[in-house]
Amino acid sequence: MRPQLREKSGIRVGTSPMISVSHLVKRYGAHVAVNDVSFEVGPGEVVGFLGPNGAGKSTTMRILAGSLGMTSGEVKIDGHDVATESLRARRRIGYMPEAVPLYPEMRVSEYLTFRAELKGVARSARRGSVGRAMEKANVRDVAETVIGHLSKGYRQRVGLADALVASPPILILDEPTAGLDPNQIRQVRALVKELAKEHAVLLSTHILSEVEASCTRVLLIARGRLVAQGPTQDIQRMRRPSAVDLAIRGDAATAERALRAVQGVANVTRPGLDGAALLGDVSVLRCTWGKKLAHGDVAAATETAVAALVHAGIAIREVRQVGGSLEDVFAELTLDAADAADATRGRDEAAT
Amino acid sequence: MRAFWPIYKRELFAFFVTPLAWVLICVFLLVQGMHFYLLVDHFSTQLDVASDQTPVQAFFGNTVLLYLILFLLVPPMTMRLFAEERRSGTIEVLMTAPVSAASVVLAKYAAVMTTYVAMWVPTLLYLVILGRTGDIDWHAAGASYLGVFLVGGSYLAVGLLMSAVTESQFLALVLTALVVLSLFILGVGEFVTPMDTVLHDVCAHVSVWSQMNDFSSGIVDSRRVVFDVTLVALPLFVATRVVDAWRWSS
Repeated sequence: MRPQLREKSGIRVGTSPMISVSHLVKRYGAHVAVNDVSFEVGPGEVVGFLGPNGAGKSTTMRILAGSLGMTSGEVKIDGHDVATESLRARRRIGYMPEAVPLYPEMRVSEYLTFRAELKGVARSARRGSVGRAMEKANVRDVAETVIGHLSKGYRQRVGLADALVASPPILILDEPTAGLDPNQIRQVRALVKELAKEHAVLLSTHILSEVEASCTRVLLIARGRLVAQGPTQDIQRMRRPSAVDLAIRGDAATAERALRAVQGVANVTRPGLDGAALLGDVSVLRCTWGKKLAHGDVAAATETAVAALVHAGIAIREVRQVGGSLEDVFAELTLDAADAADATRGRDEAAT
Repeated sequence: MRAFWPIYKRELFAFFVTPLAWVLICVFLLVQGMHFYLLVDHFSTQLDVASDQTPVQAFFGNTVLLYLILFLLVPPMTMRLFAEERRSGTIEVLMTAPVSAASVVLAKYAAVMTTYVAMWVPTLLYLVILGRTGDIDWHAAGASYLGVFLVGGSYLAVGLLMSAVTESQFLALVLTALVVLSLFILGVGEFVTPMDTVLHDVCAHVSVWSQMNDFSSGIVDSRRVVFDVTLVALPLFVATRVVDAWRWSS
């Protein structure tokens, strides 16, 4: 009963998917690492796999890449089942694991040539594809360096070049920007956008801005469960500040009264001063937004609050939104998911 | 099987780019050279005593030195094959490429076997040296090298399996040494068990000691060849299953 319900509601129907995962479960003894996860990735999509550490992102990706078996469920890569047609499925994937293990004694170009040969790139095309992969991943300047001597950032990008070297239709990148400096992160994000033209990309991260920068769609996973999926904008909308801090100069009581009158403000408090040097009549007030206030309305409510203060003759030194971090989104979503699960269970029980 | 060549080449590269292979080959050739020197010295000075044996026969058969050197060299040769890759995690990258478990196992085995053969090749010079002073029974020499190839091959296959069952290179080394030693001791059982018992027959059948004695006199018994080939095929088969199983257990 329940699987059908989910299939109707949870999965997009469209052109044949590049990655199709249905009811994937992975257990380690009593611990359930991945719990009934279903999703699809279509051609030309960049899907962000978003979740806190230990949510089951890497486990899922390792199962997709064929390096780990599943307890139950079905995974199809471009129509090929990873369990029964493992070789065909693996031929279509470029996988970059989280830790990027490499052979330390090989030179970068040697390693990539080895990987290209392993992945069945024809001898005549090998030089070209290794060169292109090094170009894209920006490791050409270390082509003749022994991998053991490379920095973390370079090793990371050698792993990326390895994933690209046979130009597979599907790329699975496990935290591709971990360990890179801000400049390199920008480069990788630009590269991922570029790659979307030829590949379907599934990348994992625990940084929300990462997803916002490069993904068209987001899968949110927490404690092994898929708690939400949808276009990036939808997730951005969920990322709503929980409060606004206002540093003001003037009578705090007047300001507090003015703020309480603003629609959408649930509470006004005076948070402890975290070491900031404030002058005598400067104080900080925290307006907590009401639960019902939508993402777009927070901005308008902030404007109203500031206008109300100005109207009351209070000078404003600083306005800073508080919260809206990934953790907040997760807290909200996982609570919702738990509620929804209870509701579904109730419905199932009523149906039987 | 398309993945065989790249993995085979990489394994050989990894073996010879580190000092380990060169150290092992040096130790091997030093010991064998000394062995040869003592034999030649013995045969040239005490011709009357050792008339029932040829130097080639004495070099390969009736000597504990052959097994001692295999016991010392095979475990460090095979210990890193899988254990190192599992420890460093590169096995995951390797197995997510479109490669079959069988091609990985066979490529690694072929690489270590190639190294083993390369170790023995310089000893052909001893035959050349002996050939300048007297006649050599080339059949016996050929049979001796076949024996060395088979015995070494089976030990290496066991070592490869031990490297696949543990993540620790040291444990792989110890386990391999244990199995090699046990096989030898089982063979020696031929001399301590009473004649005409099943145990005696079994010990005689699996004895590398008797095998090399036979082979070095030019007697190639097909039963012994079958035993050695089994001892190669079985560990390799199990290792293939083990490599396949990592995906489903870890």
